[in-house]
Amino acid sequence: MNRGAVRHAFVEAWSICRSSPGRTLLAVALIAISLYIPGLLLLLCQNLARLAARAEAVPAAEVTLAAGADARALALEIARDGAVRRVRIVSPEAARERFERNFPDLRAPLAQLPDVPFPTTLEVELAPGARSAGVLASLAGRPGVDSVSADAEFEQRLKDFVSLSRRASLFLGGLLAGAAVVSIASAVRLAMDQHREEIEIMRLMGATEATIRAPFWLQGSLEGAVGGIAALGVLLATYGVVTMAMHRSPHPILSIFWVHFFPLRDWLLFPLLGLAAGFLGAAASVGRRPQG
Amino acid sequence: MIHVFHVSKEFGRYRHALSDITFDIERGDFVFLTGPSGAGKTTLLRLLFRDELPTEGQIVVNGRNIGVLPHSKLPYFRRSIGIVFQDFKLIPRKTVFENVAFVQNILGTPVAVQKRRAYQVLKQVGLHYQMNAHPSELSGGEQQRVAIARALVNEPVLLLADEPTGNLDPALSEEIMRLFAEIQIRGTTVVIATHDLDLIQRMGKRVLTLERGRLRERGSPPAALVPAREAPFLPSA
Repeated sequence: MNRGAVRHAFVEAWSICRSSPGRTLLAVALIAISLYIPGLLLLLCQNLARLAARAEAVPAAEVTLAAGADARALALEIARDGAVRRVRIVSPEAARERFERNFPDLRAPLAQLPDVPFPTTLEVELAPGARSAGVLASLAGRPGVDSVSADAEFEQRLKDFVSLSRRASLFLGGLLAGAAVVSIASAVRLAMDQHREEIEIMRLMGATEATIRAPFWLQGSLEGAVGGIAALGVLLATYGVVTMAMHRSPHPILSIFWVHFFPLRDWLLFPLLGLAAGFLGAAASVGRRPQG
Repeated sequence: MIHVFHVSKEFGRYRHALSDITFDIERGDFVFLTGPSGAGKTTLLRLLFRDELPTEGQIVVNGRNIGVLPHSKLPYFRRSIGIVFQDFKLIPRKTVFENVAFVQNILGTPVAVQKRRAYQVLKQVGLHYQMNAHPSELSGGEQQRVAIARALVNEPVLLLADEPTGNLDPALSEEIMRLFAEIQIRGTTVVIATHDLDLIQRMGKRVLTLERGRLRERGSPPAALVPAREAPFLPSA
């Protein structure tokens, strides 16, 4: 295809898009929605995965001491274990302060209690690569230890949840992308029907099939790419709004993992995916047209 | 230029549009294709620019057997001929210049060359001052002249016109016929389908008459039909 034909294809594609703004906007909106929804879910999954990875990197256990146990002596004894990196004593007062900080609404009911309801605990951070199951068993068997709880189960559940959510997002994304392809195909088919007479004239004047079809391929691709950019924009706006809301009034759970947007290199994926969906839709539609 | 051998065209099983048509048209000829409505004039023209394929027979246009022309070569074949339709077939959203320069545009001809060539052919049809107008701003006669300019812009060896004066009043019809005569003088073979016998008689050109899909007459119009004035629409130059 020569430069003139390429220029003609772009000019015609733009003209087709402009000739029916409602249809063009609808196609762009459908692509944007089909990329926005899975994009948002993937953003959540990405942050959850980061949280899970962080938790996994530093395995930890919480040791609740029996009443009257010597926290300092026990902490020193546990710290001597090679599988343990650090031990921190959390006094009942410190535990209460932490609780009040995380759940300010519960401060008043807590103040009405006669005793501090938090026992002394030891936060045991394991050395990287330590076999947590063995260390936990040894901690539970020590005198003065009431119970041992580890994050391992929670971590596993979190990882499972993230994995499931990611797969669900991709599945949903696939479904929505399929719907977007169909909607683009319909928009292109509609545009071709609207320009049927022109297409016929072009054929009679000696235009090749590629010259006739190229503007419609471009139309679908352009609408897809713009839809992808719109999805990215709305996603960024959503992220910004939620982040601002978190800063104003931190949420005990969401604030923990709502920390990162997609890396810059992934931004390009949105217009590219939109473009691919648009091109597929256009190709599906234009390819089915009779030779005239 | 055109060789038609025993061509028949059927639409479905029982509708015989053309039956066993054979004729030749030499390079530079001016030929009228006439006959009553439904005689097969438009079908024959559509066969000549391969908008349809014959059911039987062979058609050779400008040395090419167009019945066996691959679909991929069809656009290039059509660029070598000019086609003018009764309903003009102009693209409404394009300007006169864009309509005329369309094929040159997709061929990648520089814009300056496109403009120069479009200006030349529009001047030839007397519409060079309307380059930026849209078809809807022009009269029927002007639109037909734009369609003729578009057909001429690639310097075709053959010009086919299907009822080019069908939507025009007698004065405009004469003007359009004068244009076709000028085009023939420049060396282009011209084939015009029309049922306007008055125009045919006054032009004094070769006539092919179709009747119910069969070729009935070949050659010049009967002497009695030729007007006393010799070819009144021929240009003075």
